[in-house]
Amino acid sequence: MPDARNSGLEAPLWRAIAVYRIAALTYATILVIGNISYYKRPMLAWPVLAVMAAWTVFTTYAYADPARRRAPLLLTDMAVVMAALTASIEIVGRHSLETGRPTLAVAWHVAPVLCCAVRFGRRGGIAAALVMGATDLLVRAHYDQSALTGSVLMLLAAIAVGYLVRIAEVAQERLERAVELEAATRERERLARDIHDSVLQVLALVKRRGAGLDGEAGELARLAGEQEAALRTLVGGRQAAVDPVGDELDLMALLHPYATADVTVSGPAGAVPLPAHAARELRAAVAAALDNVARHCDPGTKVYLFVEDDPGQVVVTVRDDGCGIEPDRLAQAEAQGRLGVAQSIRGRIGDLGGEVRIVSAPGQGTEVEMSVPRVPIS
Amino acid sequence: MTAAIRVMVVDDHPMWREGVSRDLTAAGYDVVATSGEGRQAVRIAAAARPDVVVLDLQLPDVSGVEVINGLQTEVPGVRVLMLSASGEQQDVLDAMKAGATGYLLKSAGQAEFLDAVSRTAAGDTVFTPGLAGLVLGEFRRLAVTEPAGADEGAPKLTERETEVLRLVAKGLSYKQIAERLVLSHRTVQNHVQNTLGKLQLHNRVELTRYAIEQGLD
Repeated sequence: MPDARNSGLEAPLWRAIAVYRIAALTYATILVIGNISYYKRPMLAWPVLAVMAAWTVFTTYAYADPARRRAPLLLTDMAVVMAALTASIEIVGRHSLETGRPTLAVAWHVAPVLCCAVRFGRRGGIAAALVMGATDLLVRAHYDQSALTGSVLMLLAAIAVGYLVRIAEVAQERLERAVELEAATRERERLARDIHDSVLQVLALVKRRGAGLDGEAGELARLAGEQEAALRTLVGGRQAAVDPVGDELDLMALLHPYATADVTVSGPAGAVPLPAHAARELRAAVAAALDNVARHCDPGTKVYLFVEDDPGQVVVTVRDDGCGIEPDRLAQAEAQGRLGVAQSIRGRIGDLGGEVRIVSAPGQGTEVEMSVPRVPIS
Repeated sequence: MTAAIRVMVVDDHPMWREGVSRDLTAAGYDVVATSGEGRQAVRIAAAARPDVVVLDLQLPDVSGVEVINGLQTEVPGVRVLMLSASGEQQDVLDAMKAGATGYLLKSAGQAEFLDAVSRTAAGDTVFTPGLAGLVLGEFRRLAVTEPAGADEGAPKLTERETEVLRLVAKGLSYKQIAERLVLSHRTVQNHVQNTLGKLQLHNRVELTRYAIEQGLD
């Protein structure tokens, strides 16, 4: 927050108030010259104008420094201006004021109210406007429409300025966040390029050279291959698209992180948008299927995750190259309710109005095909 | 093998270039040239006249599509096996449409790589499950964006071709697919090759149509 207060958006506001103060002082001087013949003590008007001028110069410099825009200066500002306003009672005189002659300040007294609005926001501005407005009314000692209008305008100006400052702060925060995000994205892209040009290539080479070797060399190659796949997924850039677009999610972006040295993810090049709920349920079903493979098949079993985007439905297949199950054993296990994973998959897909087909044959691995209709059945 | 097959290796990573060249030489290929840049590769290929180019998809100077186009102009009939270190995305699909005949991930094993080179040299297409998924996705995209009834219409896959591609995408080997569909290994290979051929033909037609529309004919 303090950063926003000292931001470039607020500085012009303080300068504008300084300009307003100078303009208002000039106008006050002209009106004093024009009305001086009606004053009760005309000679005293000049020293008061001199004080007002001095205060205008002082505040112009004082408010230019962000560190000094604090309560002490603002309260002193209010007090000095209220004093100049109150001096009108003695100098202009009751009679002249009641017949509609302006105060010595004329509109100069609005400046500190605006300062409060800028510094303390809408609430501070309203409080200052009420105090200053009450003083103005007391000094004028008549309560007709024109007298009230001045104070009401001042109140509205304070509210508007306070609101403006708030908007400026929010805009500034958003801007800063966007800049940060952009910097982070650019850094990520640079990292991805670097990794792609160096680490990925070397890891792939190690894996290639060592594949087929026995013992430690083969193990090292396998590990290099795993890391290569993990890094490739990380820098692939698909993750960035996981943010929901409206209430839809890209299923490919959700599933790509599952790619490893043993898990191949394939599907269309573009996004496969699905309602967020359906996409998350499908991901959970895929995770359950992958988990099932990890638990029941030998380590190193290849898994293929395949996404098809038909006009009417989205089909996701999880096929492993490992231990196939005898078809009747599968049905038997399922009938006995022992196939927990299969049921959790069926449950999720069934809730989406879809179907699950499990095909398994010894030597050909197990294939779990999940199809979900594009338009949910209502 | 009567005369050794002439291979060119294009990759911006020197270590990779060297390793691949060594493997190819050891396997009996004649590595006629190597290059680390796309434009240079096209120039060298014009003189070296390789039968097969092993091409890294991500080169520092020009895109894979541009290199493939250049190679086809300079060395008609050259076969291009693409390798890439990153995932199987739009750029892979674009390169295949431009005329590459095979695609392999860089992390593939040595045996798999050498097998892919020999199949590419023999004129076969080399598909990964990921590429099959991309190609299927592309045909479906074309079917939606270019509905039938248009002049040439979108290219379509036969039921058999779709079936074969789906099985490739699910990671089955050609042998497994042949067993499952009761086909010969050669027929499976032909179906895969046809799908790519249709896509490449459509791509050329599109490019020509675009050129005519833009008045560049």
